[in-house]
Amino acid sequence: MNELIFPGNRSKLFRELNAILTITARDITLALKSPGVLITSFAMPLVMMGMLGGSLAQNMAEGLSFDYGQFMMVGMMVNMLFMATTMGLGSLVEDRMTDFTQEMMVSPASRYSIVIGKIFGSSFTAVASMCGTIIVGLMMGITLSLGQLVLILALAPLMCLSAGALGMMVIGVVKNTRTANTALMLITMPQMFLSGAIIPIGNSSGILLVLSRLMPMTYCLDLVRAIVYAGTEDYASVVLFDPGVNFVAIAVLTAACLIAGTYLFARTEKNR
Amino acid sequence: MEAMIAVDQLVKQYGKAKEPSVKGVSFTVNEGEFFAFLGPNGAGKTTTISILTTTLSKTSGSVTIAGCDVEKQARLVREKVGIIFQQPSLDPNLTAEENIRFHACLYGMFGYRPSFALMPASYKTRVTDLAEIVGIEDALFRPIKKLSGGMQRKLEIIRSLIHTPAVLFLDEPTQGLDAVSRRSLWEYINETRQRYGTTVFLTTHYIDEAEQVDKVCVINQGRIVLSGAPDEIKSSLRKRELVLDAADRGRLIDELSDMGLFHRVDEHVVVPYQDLSEQEVIARLQTTLTTLKIQEPTLEDAYVEYLLKTGGKAA
Repeated sequence: MNELIFPGNRSKLFRELNAILTITARDITLALKSPGVLITSFAMPLVMMGMLGGSLAQNMAEGLSFDYGQFMMVGMMVNMLFMATTMGLGSLVEDRMTDFTQEMMVSPASRYSIVIGKIFGSSFTAVASMCGTIIVGLMMGITLSLGQLVLILALAPLMCLSAGALGMMVIGVVKNTRTANTALMLITMPQMFLSGAIIPIGNSSGILLVLSRLMPMTYCLDLVRAIVYAGTEDYASVVLFDPGVNFVAIAVLTAACLIAGTYLFARTEKNR
Repeated sequence: MEAMIAVDQLVKQYGKAKEPSVKGVSFTVNEGEFFAFLGPNGAGKTTTISILTTTLSKTSGSVTIAGCDVEKQARLVREKVGIIFQQPSLDPNLTAEENIRFHACLYGMFGYRPSFALMPASYKTRVTDLAEIVGIEDALFRPIKKLSGGMQRKLEIIRSLIHTPAVLFLDEPTQGLDAVSRRSLWEYINETRQRYGTTVFLTTHYIDEAEQVDKVCVINQGRIVLSGAPDEIKSSLRKRELVLDAADRGRLIDELSDMGLFHRVDEHVVVPYQDLSEQEVIARLQTTLTTLKIQEPTLEDAYVEYLLKTGGKAA
């Protein structure tokens, strides 16, 4: 019996990492089988950055003390990662509707591995969107150095995990696709406007200030900007917090959302 | 013999329900046993199986699988069980093999590789062997949505068995399958039981499928109302019957009355018997018979009769 299972000769950590990789790979396979999804993810920045950002740059960036193009480019890269990862998590609701979540939930994989695997799987299209943003930026004459790009890419998994963990708070309790899509829009859109992706938030106050500080994307954006603007004159005008503070805030908010989201997801699955 | 599944005073009450769906259910299934859990719609079968497979939390009572508590040691339980759900749970956008690979890697049997060709030889051999046994080797690399319902069900069987579970839960596994698919599926499940000694827990609305099991439990309105081996249940609920007729039916009836045998007249004369053997009844009859048939009760007869008698709904 069980001659092919290897609990004894493979560590628990290996098994969990393998489960995360398996779930991530499934979402990547599905994305590659749906070129439409990839093309849309790639083309989305054209609308978000090319049209929305471009229009803001032409009409509202006059009085700023820093280059708005680069500010917006960084904001859009992080925003696209967040938006595509969060929206991609909607596939978990589809899995629930086709009963595929049952297949995952009866496996010995940890519930956290299932959720983290889904988040990284959703991130695949997010990375496509980020690449699209870089290309649109190039077309608009906004560039980043290779070193900056590498650092941003190195931070991308953390940002995707942060975005996905926030999305799980919603997905954990939603039971149908239509509600999921609306609810996910409700958490992605305010982040775009309140966390400084395209509009500087240095002068925010009141409830908007509180909301911006509660959003993980605020800290992700600020961390990336700290990298991009390091050693430049604009650093003080653009970056809000010390990178260490950003890192801790991202870690705390991500862990809190991940724990709560996974709990809600597992509870919803157990009480179908 | 060790109990592979032990359920003691299991209660499940859903949040907004006025009364529990499962009301203090207790039973055991021994290692290697073939167990059928029967009952009409809404009786509590799927609720019970969901708790046993760790996908639903219980309200009270205790449930262990291979000695592991389903709530405190859920992970260990999940390693030991394979499940075929009532509703198919395959990913329709993946191929048959991709679905199996996903399952095998999720259960930690193999490290994930992005294609069948890159998987270890032991995986490839196992998948092709299983596919050959259930006859879907040609469909292994086709998308699920292009497979028939029967093929999808067979694929689910392969998937649930690929990690050679100690207990296999089958929740209405043949629902929607044609007769040929049903038969080949049962052949394969029986072969698996013989080869690996797998304990099988079955729920089904096709009562004839439960004729071959070792033990049956019937649940109705959340309570176990009958349990035992199929033959025990049949003989406790229904007598065997002789179906007789003669050109001179009046004389036959008189003879049966003289022998003190209860009988009823339907299309023929039906004589239920229990203490006498059929040979003894026939030997004492003088009337020349034109019809003689021994009618063995089926589990379905006993099941339906019991539910109708006790006001339960038939499945």
